[in-house]
Formats: sequence, structure tokens, C-alpha cells
Amino acid sequence: MIWVAWRLQRTETLIAAGILALLAALLIPTGISMGNTYHADHIGACLAAAKGTSCSMRMSEFESEFQTVRLLANWFTLIPGLIGVLVAAPFILDLEHGTYRLAWTQSITRGRWLLGKLSLPILAALVSSGALILLFTWWRAPLANIDGRLDIGTYDTEGIVVIGYTLFALGLAVALGAVWRRSAVSLTVAFVGYFAMRVFVDYWLRNRLVSPLHATWKGVGDPHFLYHATIISESAVINGHHINGGGGGVIGGHSQMAAPGLGVASVFHAVYQPASDFWPLQFRELGLFTGIAAVMILFAAWWTQRQGA
Amino acid sequence: MSDDWAVRAEGLGKRYGSTWALRDCTLQIPTGTVTALVGPNGAGKTTLLHLVIGLARETTGSVEVFGLSPRDDAHAVLPRLGFVAQDHPLYRSLTVADTMTLGRKLNPRWDEQIARERVERLGLRRDQKVGRLSGGQQAQVALTLALAKRPELLVLDEPVASLDPLARREFLNGVLEAVAEGGMTVILSSHIVSELERVCDHLVTLAGSRTQLAGPIEEIVGSHRVLIGPRSDAASVARIHDVIRESHTERQTTLLVRANGHVYDSGWEQHEVDLEEIVLAYLGYTPGAGAVAAPSSAAVAR
Repeated sequence: MIWVAWRLQRTETLIAAGILALLAALLIPTGISMGNTYHADHIGACLAAAKGTSCSMRMSEFESEFQTVRLLANWFTLIPGLIGVLVAAPFILDLEHGTYRLAWTQSITRGRWLLGKLSLPILAALVSSGALILLFTWWRAPLANIDGRLDIGTYDTEGIVVIGYTLFALGLAVALGAVWRRSAVSLTVAFVGYFAMRVFVDYWLRNRLVSPLHATWKGVGDPHFLYHATIISESAVINGHHINGGGGGVIGGHSQMAAPGLGVASVFHAVYQPASDFWPLQFRELGLFTGIAAVMILFAAWWTQRQGA
Repeated sequence: MSDDWAVRAEGLGKRYGSTWALRDCTLQIPTGTVTALVGPNGAGKTTLLHLVIGLARETTGSVEVFGLSPRDDAHAVLPRLGFVAQDHPLYRSLTVADTMTLGRKLNPRWDEQIARERVERLGLRRDQKVGRLSGGQQAQVALTLALAKRPELLVLDEPVASLDPLARREFLNGVLEAVAEGGMTVILSSHIVSELERVCDHLVTLAGSRTQLAGPIEEIVGSHRVLIGPRSDAASVARIHDVIRESHTERQTTLLVRANGHVYDSGWEQHEVDLEEIVLAYLGYTPGAGAVAAPSSAAVAR
């Protein structure tokens, strides 16, 4: 069964490998050049020495130099979804083309067929997401040092959540495919569903996964605990005027409200996720996505198993 | 005695949602026979075959293959089955050689020699993609896959429906050769009766989701007669024989009967009748309701 499952999964696995290779071809040269500039400008040393308070010039220079690849990198968050639905395709194609009737009337039982047919794409999803994580983490290292790892572009492509994202797309695709038995529509809807789920988690749920902290302080500039934090909301009382600010990442050590020229008497208040929330958030989000994926994969197996014909 | 019957179904029924695909089907298929399962499209042939090979689970009744439940004892039944589904689905992206490897990997009883010989005889290149083969060749590859399992029961669902006459003949020859080696029971469904007589020795009809005619083809052909006589009521004949179909013109009455014993009445001219005509008559026949009258007399009766 392993040989058969692999042989029928080969094309999709090679396409996934091709996507990864293409990505590597893009990321490795730009990653090397980013790393070189980062070291040549001594940004790392500057950040380490002053927690970023005096590096803003160099950092903004650096960021504008690599503006194009940084913007491009925002799209990379779709890749786990793409790979997830891609490796789900052979399972759905078997149902769509009726070849499952061929497979189920060989000498192996349906249960073993399902096991082989579903574990291989899961394995492919795990290996590809592992490769994605390694590649992105290496590539983004300079940006992560500047923006912090809670920065949405970094958070979504590093740590362990990518595994959950890929499995989620895979699970959604096989669940829809088991019911619809149409690969094109199942894969498309699964990819759209993946995107919708990611938007929901990125922009709404993540801020609530770990209770954010509150802080009030006086003075100019951001305090050290906001270093690399994600600010969910911020307000200030400056010369008796109340100003509300939105959220956002703290780039280096500067929030958007800590502009020069404000009086020392100003009082700031922020609701934020500190940089140390990175791993608790990653684990919870991985658990959420993987849990949903597991339920959907089991549903696909159960639904297919109980099919009358 | 489960050894005598390759397949035994009792009150077998299958419902999909609210519609019955097969209802109250009772039949026995003796071991070692080649049985044609004949019925119009939608009569439940595919459903019945799927129940036999365990692709579907029965809603009512029971089905046994070699005395085992094809669904619950799948691990024991599957290795003894060969199945070619309707339109013989195959993995189109695999080569002929890969398809045979698939068969070898998935079947412990796989006979590589049968597979090799058949592929050679069919003149197929082993590195050719299955999707590029003609319909007839694909059917042959599917049959090869089924035969190399060395099945005790070979189930073919409408195997020749989509094939041209030449490919149809070649496919059936392949089945015949395999049967000639002995020991194998074959069930072959079809809505085409011609050609079946050459291959099959038993016949089961399925219409209105019920089986009606079942038995050895020789007996079936031997026991049916066409009676032609002056226009009259068929009631006297129906007292002794089963009238399957009657039709009337102004001057004469034609009956297709299943004769219980000899027909002595000299008022009727007797003719032998071929299998196709018998089957067609049965497919328009509802048991219990008597013979289906020809449209003209039905209009008169109203």
C-alpha cells in the first residue's frame, strides 16, 4: 500500500517540492544579501546595545532597501495553504475518477487503503511545512531582529504554526473532497476557506488567544517592555487631550505615538502582547489548527469508509 | 452447503436515501458457473454487484460470498474476488507496468505470470500510460488486473457496454479463456443479451429491482415456447403454462410461455425461441400481475 500510495501521490509531491525549490531560489540570494547588509550596517550590534532606541535611521534604511522582497514575503503566508490542498488532491481524485472502486476490490481492506491514502499527504504536509519553516526562519532573521517575531509576516512563517496551517488546508480539502468528490471545486473552496480562517485568526482571534497585558507610563519614548511587542490598542493623554491610537507592532523601540516633541507630562496607556508571548501564542494556534485538521481528516476517513458505494 | 453456491442473496435490498436501488432480491449462483445478470439500465444490477463484492452494505436481507459476508469479512473475501467496475476505472497516469505493480503490491495471491502473459498477448507496451490506451485496451488491462488475482469469483459490471464490437469480442474471449482453465465462477452484468450466450451458461434477469428468471440458459431456452394460434383467449393455456407475454392481431394470438411439461394442444403452432426474445419478454413482465398485454388490447380493456 505504501508503494501504491506513494506512486499515486508522486506528481503532487514533486509539484510541492518544485514550489519549495522555486521559493528557495528566490529566498536564498535575497537572504544572503539581506544578511550581509545587516552585518555591514552593524544593525545587530546597535539593537543589542540600546534595545533599538538609537538605531532607527539604520533600520529604516535597511527596511527600505529590502522593501520589495518584504512586501513579496507577505504573500508567502499563502504557501502552506497551497501545499496543503495540493497534497490532498490524490485522495480526492481517487473518489472523483471512481478508481477507489479498483483499489477497494484488491486484497486490502478499506481501512488500510484510507490509512495509506491519508497518512502520506499528512507526511508530505509535515515535511514541506518543516522545510518552509527552516527556509523562512533563516531568511527572515534580520527582519525578525528588527521587527520582532510577533510581527505578522514573521509570526506566520516561523515557529510551529506553519505546520498547523498546512494540515488545516489539507484537512479541509480532504473533508470537502470526501463529500463532494470533485477535486477542482474542493481544492478551490478549501484554499478560500484556508485564507478566510487565516484572516480570522490573524486579525481577530490571535489578540484573544493569550490575554494581553495592560501598562500605563509617563514620558517620551516607549518603555522596554514594549520592545517587539504587538500593541493591540494605545491611548495617551497629552496636555489634557485624550488621543486614541490603533494597534500595531512596535518597530524597534518606537510605537507610532511616541513622536518627538511631546511633553514629559504625557501619560500613555497600552494594551499589548509582549514579545515573550510568541511561544504561548504559537502553541495555542498550532493546537487550534491541528485540532481542526485532525477532526476534518478523521471525518473524511469516516465518511469515505461508510460510503455505500 | 455454502460450497455449492458462490453467491447467495436472500431478500437483499439497498436503499440510497429514500429510493430503493434494489429490493427483495433472492438468488443463488452456483459455483463454477458463468452467469449473466441481465436487466435494463437502472434495474439495480450495479447495486447488486456492489453488494456482492462488498463495495456497498445491504439495507435489508443478506448476501454471502463463499458463505462469508463480503463487507464484514472483507479481509477474507477480497483476495478471492476479481472485479472490473463499470467503465473499468484505472489510474490513467500510471503506466501498464506500474498498474501491474499496483496489482502485485495489493494482492498476496497475485500471479505475475498471468499478468505478464496477458500484457504480452495484448501487445501493450509496458511503459505506456494507461490513459493513452483505447477503451478496449483499458478494459483488457482492468481484466488482467482482476484475473492475475487468481479470483475464485470474477465479477464484471457491464464490461463490454462501452466497447466497439471487435473489442467486445476480444474482451469476452479473454473471459472465456480464463474460464476454460477451470474453477472460476463468473458473474457478468449486461443490458445487451447478444453475445452473452456464447460466454454464459446461467442467466438471471433483474427488472423492477426484482429477479424473475434464473437458471441454466439451456433449461431456460428449452422450456420456453412461442405459441401461435387463431385469435383467442390465452386463459386455457395459462392454466397449465406460465404466459410471459401475449400479443394479438385481428386474426391470431401469439404467446410466449414457459412450458410446464409438453404443450399438447394442437390448436397452437409451436416455435422455439431464442434467449434474447425470452429475456426481452421477461423484462416487460411483472410476476403476479400476469402477462403484460400488448398496447392495443390494453386500450380495449379500458
